Amino acid sequence: MEGWGIIIIKIVFIWTWTLLIATLMTWIERRGAGLIQDRLGPNRAGPFGIFQPLADGIKLFTKEDIVPEKAHKILFALGPILFALPAFSAYAVVPFGDKIVLGGKEIILQVADVSVGFLYIVAIGSMSVYGIVLGGWGSNNKYSILGGLRSTAQLISYEVPWGLALLAAVLLYGTFSLRDMAFAQQGVFLGFLPNWGIFKQPLGFILFMVAAYAEANRVPFDLPEAESEIVAGYHTEYGSMRLGLYLFGEYVNIYTLSALIVTLYFGAWNLPYVDMSKFLGPVAYGLASFLVFFLKVAFFLWLFVWVRWTVPRFRYDQVMGLGWKSLIPLALINLFITALFVQFTA
Amino acid sequence: MDFYFWLFATMAVCAGIFTIAARDPLPSALGLLTVFIACAALYLHLHAPLIAIFQVTIYAGAILVLVVFVIMLLTSPDERLSLLQANMSYRIMGVVLGACIIGLLAAGTKGLINIVGSKALPDGFGSPARFGDLFYRNYLLHFEVASVLLLVALIGGIYLAKKNL
Repeated sequence: MEGWGIIIIKIVFIWTWTLLIATLMTWIERRGAGLIQDRLGPNRAGPFGIFQPLADGIKLFTKEDIVPEKAHKILFALGPILFALPAFSAYAVVPFGDKIVLGGKEIILQVADVSVGFLYIVAIGSMSVYGIVLGGWGSNNKYSILGGLRSTAQLISYEVPWGLALLAAVLLYGTFSLRDMAFAQQGVFLGFLPNWGIFKQPLGFILFMVAAYAEANRVPFDLPEAESEIVAGYHTEYGSMRLGLYLFGEYVNIYTLSALIVTLYFGAWNLPYVDMSKFLGPVAYGLASFLVFFLKVAFFLWLFVWVRWTVPRFRYDQVMGLGWKSLIPLALINLFITALFVQFTA
Repeated sequence: MDFYFWLFATMAVCAGIFTIAARDPLPSALGLLTVFIACAALYLHLHAPLIAIFQVTIYAGAILVLVVFVIMLLTSPDERLSLLQANMSYRIMGVVLGACIIGLLAAGTKGLINIVGSKALPDGFGSPARFGDLFYRNYLLHFEVASVLLLVALIGGIYLAKKNL
């Protein structure tokens, strides 16, 4: 068992790291948009505009904090907080590397390896809807309420295929702990493929991915804030750092979802065909596992940006139709096939 | 007495009172959300992490979201519940139902006398594996009956919705 000191260091580390990634993502998103749309993007603040997030942060903090007169004051204030809180707490059970051995002490690179890890993610994920609902309702604005309504319906609909895809993965690995799932993906599968979840759960991966984009309110599922229809949806009335919390929470969510995708389907910190722990020292191995994990996550972070500037937005009834008529039946079939597979190979 | 227990028990009771006393529908729903989360914290304290997580996922994350959805569809932020609360028949119904639930609780506490003494927990108590073991071995029939009940509700819901289409 690790001491309190180490646990607090891990919490502070992953919190700062997540904040740093979310900050960088705002820059990458805009530079990525520039790249894809054949223009420059922000390039004034620092080299390649790298200090743009800093400038944005100062701007958001120093702007006047406006609360609409007709708004429900308490709910309006609670909205962004309740959105950011689950976003930041979700990462607690997701690993960010294997382990470091320092001075004879083994430190696992994960804040809490709990036995109900996967369920914790589902529970926290379902909490983030309240922030959006409160923001929409508390603003007392018709566009905000429409955005809140859309978001509620979307989250309820996509949580089902999301959870079912996760459940199939749980069946496959036979554990709820995300760390044990990472260990289950070592070695090779069928003699030549890396033993990663994607090769055993190809359909599950696609379902999880699609539902994850819907859960994060990202294009092509950003109906709750569709600019062309409802101004900015649930955060229409928000400004200054309250808006900042919503935007930030979204990037934190993206980071957690990318880390989950890597943990479940892309072998977490395991490299294909190579066992790093064989030829690296304990400290070097810990750092290498962190780096490998992060590089994989970075690819999915970029994929979120890539998709955002490539795919157009769905129509609202199409989103609901896709969720209920395609993803849920597919997820059920996937679960059934996985159950058969596990039953006959065990 | 236990500080952790008192903290969350007080939280649950206060939020419960707020839920039935609130004038606006959405803050009332938020009060209920707080009750659910406080209860989940208490379950966690009772070495039942799985039940705590289910409480958050199912009650707070699914059922209450549906309630909030209906509130948002049917009312507007300016609307108050006072009209509903002034209705005498609702009040009487509330008193009767509340009395029934308190009666049930009182009947349920009778068995508590036998388990007051503290004893060591069995190995793996409250873990998902142990829970699943009991669930699918000893209580399989209950589980299946509950699933049939849900299926009946589902078919009934579809029938009611389709009739008007």
